[in-house]
Amino acid sequence: MKKQIPEAAPKNRKTGLILVLTALALTIMLFSMPIFRTDTVLFSKKSANTFVGDEKYQSVRAEVEQAAAQYAGFNKTEVREDVTLRTKSDGSQSSMVTFSVTSQGWNNAWQIITSGLPSGSILAILLVCVLISFLAGFLGRSRISGGVAVAFALCTLLLVPAFAMLNTRIFSRSIGTVLSGAREADISALLASADRLLYGEKAGEDVAKLLGGMTYNYTFALWGLLPAGMLLLCGVLLMQNARLGSTLARGALYCFVIALCIVILYPYYVMFITGLRSIAETNDMYFLHMLPVKWVWSNFYDIVQRGVLRYLGNSLLLSSGATLIGLVCGIPAAYAMARMRFRGKKAFLGFVIMSQMFSPVVLLVGIARLMSALKLNDTVAGLMLINAAFNQAFAIWLLRGTFVSISSEMEQAACIDGCNVFGALTRVLLPMAAPGIVTTLIFVFINAWNEYTISTVLISTSSRRPITVGITQFSSFNMIEWQYLFASALLATIPVVILFLCIEKHLVTGLTSGGVKG
Amino acid sequence: MNTILIRHKWEPYLWLLPSLLLMTVFVVFPILIVFRMSFSEISRSGVMGGFAGFKNFIDAVNDKAFGTVMKNTAVWVVSVVGLSTLFGFIVAMVLNADFHGRKIARSIVVFPWATSLVIQASVWNYIIKYEYGNLNNVLLNLGILKNAVNWRTTYQIEFAWECGVGIFVTIPFVTFCVLAGLQSIDAAYYEAATVDGAGFWKKLRHVTLPLVRPSLTVSTVLNIIYVFNSFPIVYTITKGAPANKTDTLITLLYMRAFYDQKKGAATAMSVIGFVILCIAAGLYMVISMRGEEEL
Amino acid sequence: MKKLVALLAALLLVVSCAGVAMAEDEITLDVIICQYGNNTENWFLGTGMNGTSFVNKFETENPGIKLNLEVVSWDDVRSEVSTRITNNKQPDILNIDWFSGYQGDGLLMPVKDYCPEELFNDFFPSFIAESVVDDTVWAVPDLASARALYYNVDILAEAGVEKVPETWAELEDACQAIKDFYNGEVYGWGLDMTTDEGQAAFSYYVWNNDGGFLDDEGNIAINSEKNVEAIEFAIGLYKNGYTNPNPATQTRYDLQDMFGAGKLAMVIAPNNLPSYLAEKGYTDVHYNTAALPTNEGAKPGATGVMDRIMAFKDTTLSEEENAKRNEAIGKFLTFFYTPENYVGWVSMEGFLPAVNSAVEALVASDESFAGWLKVLDSCQFYPTANEKWDAMRVGVINVEQNALIGGDVKTLLDELQAELTK
Repeated sequence: MKKQIPEAAPKNRKTGLILVLTALALTIMLFSMPIFRTDTVLFSKKSANTFVGDEKYQSVRAEVEQAAAQYAGFNKTEVREDVTLRTKSDGSQSSMVTFSVTSQGWNNAWQIITSGLPSGSILAILLVCVLISFLAGFLGRSRISGGVAVAFALCTLLLVPAFAMLNTRIFSRSIGTVLSGAREADISALLASADRLLYGEKAGEDVAKLLGGMTYNYTFALWGLLPAGMLLLCGVLLMQNARLGSTLARGALYCFVIALCIVILYPYYVMFITGLRSIAETNDMYFLHMLPVKWVWSNFYDIVQRGVLRYLGNSLLLSSGATLIGLVCGIPAAYAMARMRFRGKKAFLGFVIMSQMFSPVVLLVGIARLMSALKLNDTVAGLMLINAAFNQAFAIWLLRGTFVSISSEMEQAACIDGCNVFGALTRVLLPMAAPGIVTTLIFVFINAWNEYTISTVLISTSSRRPITVGITQFSSFNMIEWQYLFASALLATIPVVILFLCIEKHLVTGLTSGGVKG
Repeated sequence: MNTILIRHKWEPYLWLLPSLLLMTVFVVFPILIVFRMSFSEISRSGVMGGFAGFKNFIDAVNDKAFGTVMKNTAVWVVSVVGLSTLFGFIVAMVLNADFHGRKIARSIVVFPWATSLVIQASVWNYIIKYEYGNLNNVLLNLGILKNAVNWRTTYQIEFAWECGVGIFVTIPFVTFCVLAGLQSIDAAYYEAATVDGAGFWKKLRHVTLPLVRPSLTVSTVLNIIYVFNSFPIVYTITKGAPANKTDTLITLLYMRAFYDQKKGAATAMSVIGFVILCIAAGLYMVISMRGEEEL
Repeated sequence: MKKLVALLAALLLVVSCAGVAMAEDEITLDVIICQYGNNTENWFLGTGMNGTSFVNKFETENPGIKLNLEVVSWDDVRSEVSTRITNNKQPDILNIDWFSGYQGDGLLMPVKDYCPEELFNDFFPSFIAESVVDDTVWAVPDLASARALYYNVDILAEAGVEKVPETWAELEDACQAIKDFYNGEVYGWGLDMTTDEGQAAFSYYVWNNDGGFLDDEGNIAINSEKNVEAIEFAIGLYKNGYTNPNPATQTRYDLQDMFGAGKLAMVIAPNNLPSYLAEKGYTDVHYNTAALPTNEGAKPGATGVMDRIMAFKDTTLSEEENAKRNEAIGKFLTFFYTPENYVGWVSMEGFLPAVNSAVEALVASDESFAGWLKVLDSCQFYPTANEKWDAMRVGVINVEQNALIGGDVKTLLDELQAELTK
C-alpha cells in the first residue's frame, strides 16, 4: 500500500498556507493580550463596633490610607470598604467595617515568559512549536518535513492546557501548600519570579504574604490559543495535501481511544499507587503526593503471606472449572436451539432467561440448602457447578446467536461426506463460531472469577476461599487496609487480563476465515 | 432454512439435557425455595414457619421506603442499561475499526470487567472521597483544580456516581457482545453498500444495526437482569444512605433481610422484583424480536 | 423430579449417618468468630498466637474436641448465620453483636447449661445483666469498648478555645470558634450518622440529655421530648457547618483519619483510637481525651458497646450426646477466657475485657486501661435484649439521615415510635 505522495495541489497548498499564516498571526496577537488575571489583597483591616463616620472609623481609615500609600507603586490599587450592620438580640445596632486594599494585575504571555516562572518556558516552547510547524510546512516538501509540521502543530495544542495546569500547580499547590505549612520546600526562586511578574519586584519580603491573599483567573486569550492551534494543524495538513476530513476523523479516533483508555485505567492507577503506599500514606489528607513517597513493594509480600496466592489459585480452579462445565453444557444446548426444530423451543429459551432473574443474594438460602444436601458445601466443586449454572443463560443465548448467523451448508456438506452431527459440530461449526465461543468463555470465566456472595456463605474453610472472599480480611471492624486491599485487587485482575490476551486473536477471526456465506 | 436433519424426535432434547439438568438442580431448586419462603412465616433470625398467605407481600409493599426505592431502581436500570448500551456500542464500533494498538485497547477495555464489583465499588468509593480521595489528589496535583472539591455534596449526586460506576463496569460486557456480533458480519455487505454509495450513517443504519441486533437484544435483556440485581456498587458506596434515598430494590431487601430482621418482607420483595423483571425483559424481547425470523 | 428428591433424600441419609458415626469418638464444634482487626484470622487460624493458632492450641489441650472455626467479616456474618439458620444448620458457637432474635426463636441455650460456674462468676455482673431475658442469661460478653471524646489540643488552642467543652452550649461555642478561625478547613465536630453505626451517635446525644431508647419501665420511648431535643441539637451542629460535610456516608474510619490528619478537632471514638492512629502513622497529632459533653443539667451518659458469644441448641442429639456437647462448649469458653489466651486477644484487638481475671494483666501491660475500666463502669449499653432492638437501630439511623436532608426530627421520631409500638 505504498503510495507516492504527490506534490500538493496548488489550490490546497494555498488554502493551507493562508490558514497557517492566520494561525501564526493569531498566536502572536493572543500572546500580546492579557491571559492571566490576578487580584491581590494587599492589606485588610476589620474594625468591630465601628459606624461609618465616627471617631474610630476615622482613625482606622487614616491607618488604611497610610497603608495604601505604602503600596502606591502597585498596579491598579483600590481601597474597598464593606460595612456589616447587624441588629443584636437586645435590639441595638452593631456595625463592623472591613477595609481592604487590593491590587489587580493583568499579564500577557511575554511578561510570563520573561518573569522566569517555569510555566513561562512552556509558553516559550509553544511559540517555538508554532514557528517550527510553520517553517517545516512552508519550506519542506518531503514526507518528513510534513510529519514534523503536523507533530509540532499537535504539540501546540497540547501545550495550552499544559501551561494552564503548570501555572495553577505553581500558584495553588507549590506556593499554596508551602505557605500553609503543609509542606516544607525551598521556593525562594519561585517567589522571586512571582514578585517580578505580579508586583514588578516591589513586594520584596512581603511577597509570600501577598501571594497568600491572591486569587487568579485565566482569560479567553489563553483558550483562544486552542483554535489557533487547530487552524495551524488544518493548515499544515492541507499543505501536505492530505484528505482533511478523513485525517481528522482518524485523529479523533485515536483521541477517543486514548481518552477511553485513560478513563478505564484510572481506577487501576489508583489501585497501583495505593497498593504501593505505606499504611500511613493511604489517607493523604492534604493531597501532598500524587505518587507514593516511598514505594512499599513489601505490601505484595505481606499479602502473599496472608494467603492471597492460595486464594488466587482457588479462584483460578473455580473459574476454569465453571467455564469448562458451562461450555460443555451450553454448546450442545445452543446447537440444538440453532439447528434443530422441536417443540418447546421457545419455552426453553424463556426458561433460560427466567433462571437468571433472581440475584444470588436472594437465592442464598436455597443454594446453601441444596449444597449441604448434595454434600458440596465448603467445596470448590460446588461453586464451579453453581457458577456454570448461573451463566448458562448467557452461554446459550450468545452461542445460539452465533450459530444461527453461520450458514449450515458446510455442516450439511460434512454430513454428506460421512461426518455425524457431532463431528459436524466440532470440526466445522465450532471453529467458525470462535468469536462467540471466546466471548462466552471470557464471560463465564470472568463472572465466576468475580462471584462473591455465594462463596461467602458456601465456603467456610479459610484455605478454600476464592480471592473475592479472601480479600475481605483487609477490611475488618477496626481498620480498612487500603494498601493490601488494592494490591490484592490488582493481582486478581492480572490472570483475567492474561487469559484475555491469550485468546483475543480469536475474537477477530471466525467468519472472515472463509466458508460458504448464507 | 438454516437447520439440519435430525433422525429421532427426541434427539434435540438429548442435546439440551446437560444444560437443563444443570439449571434445574442449581438454579430452579433455589428459586422454588425463595417462592416457598415468600409465602411462609419467617422469624427474625430466619426460622421458616407455616404458610402466611400474602402477608409478606403486603408488608413489602407497605414498607415506607418501597416507593422511593422502586423509583430509584427504575432510574438505576434505565440509566445504567441505556447509557452503557450506547457507550458500549460506540466503543465496540471503534474497537472493530482497524488502528494501531487495537489489541492493547481491547485488552484495556476488558479491565473494568476483570475486577470484581466489590473491588470496583471500593476503589471508586476511595476515589471520590472529599478529604483524601484520589480524584481530588490527581486533579490538584496536575493543576486542573485550584481547591479540593466535595464530589458528593447531595444524595442525588452520590446516586449519579453510583450509576456512573454501574455504567463503567457494564460497558465491557456490552462492548464484547456487540463486538462478537460485528465480527460475524460479512465484509461483503459493507462492500456492496459502499458500491451503492452509502455513507457512514447509512451503513450504520442499514447494515450494522440490523445485523448486530440479535446480539444487542441478548446483551440488553441480560443487562437489564444483571443491573436490576446488581448489589455491591450501592452497598459499598452509600449503603442506601441517607434514609434509603440511594437504595435500589436489591440493596433494600438485603438490609431488610439481615439488618432489619424483616426477612419475610425481604423475600417477598425479591419475588416482586422477579415479576417486574419478567414483565420488563419479556416486553423488551417481544418488541425487539418482532420481525426477526422464527427462533 | 421424584428421582431427584429420592436422590437428595438418599444423600441426606448418608450425610446424617456419617455425622452420627463421627460423633461417637470425637465431637466437632462449628464456631463463627467475627473479624475485629487485621490479625484476628491469623490469631485464630494462622500463627498469630505466639507462633501457633488458637485452634491448634485448643485441639492439643482438649483431645476429642475438634474446632471447625470460621472467621467472618462483619459485613457478611449476618447473612451467613441467617442462611444457616433457615437451613437448620446453625453453628454451635457464635460471636456476634446481637442475640434477642435468636433467643426469641428459641434457638439459644441458656448460658447456665454449658458455662462452668467458675467462669460464669468471672464475668462483670453488669455485663451479664445486659444479656438477660426472662430472668435467664442467654449469652456471655466477649469484649467491650467504651467511647470518649478525643480532642486535638493544638487546634483548640489555636482557635482560642481555652476550655474543653463540657456542655452542649460550650461545644457550640468551640465549634464556632474553630469554624471562624480555620474557615472550614478544619471541622469542629465529627458526626457519624452512617448506616453502619448511626445508632452510636443517636445513643450518645440522647443519653447525654437524660433521654434514651426505653423509658424507666422498659417500654419503647423513642420520641420523648428529651430525644427530640437531643437529635435536633445534633442536626443543628451539622446545619451550622460545625461538622464533617457528609455525616450519612462518612464512617468512623473517615472521622478517625481526619482526626489523625488534624482536619477534625473533636471526635467521639472508642478506646482503641490511639492504637489506630499509631498504626496508621499519624504521629504529629497531639490529642487528649475527655468526658463526652452533656446538655446543661443532664447527667452524663457514657456509651459502651459490647459483643457476645452464644451457643445454639442442637435438637437432633440425645440427652447424653447433648451433655457431651455442652461440656465441649464449656471447655471452649474456659480455654478462650483463660487469662493467658484472652488477655493477648483483647489487647491485640484493642478492646476492653469482659472478665475480672483479665483486668490485672491488662492494667499491668497498659496503664490507660485502668482509666477506661472506670469509664466502663458508668457506661450505658444499647438495649440489645429488647426484642425490637433491630427495628429501633435501623429506625433511628433512618430518622437521623432523614433529618440531615431536611426532615423534621419530631415528626420523624413520632412516626418511628408509632411503627415500633404498632
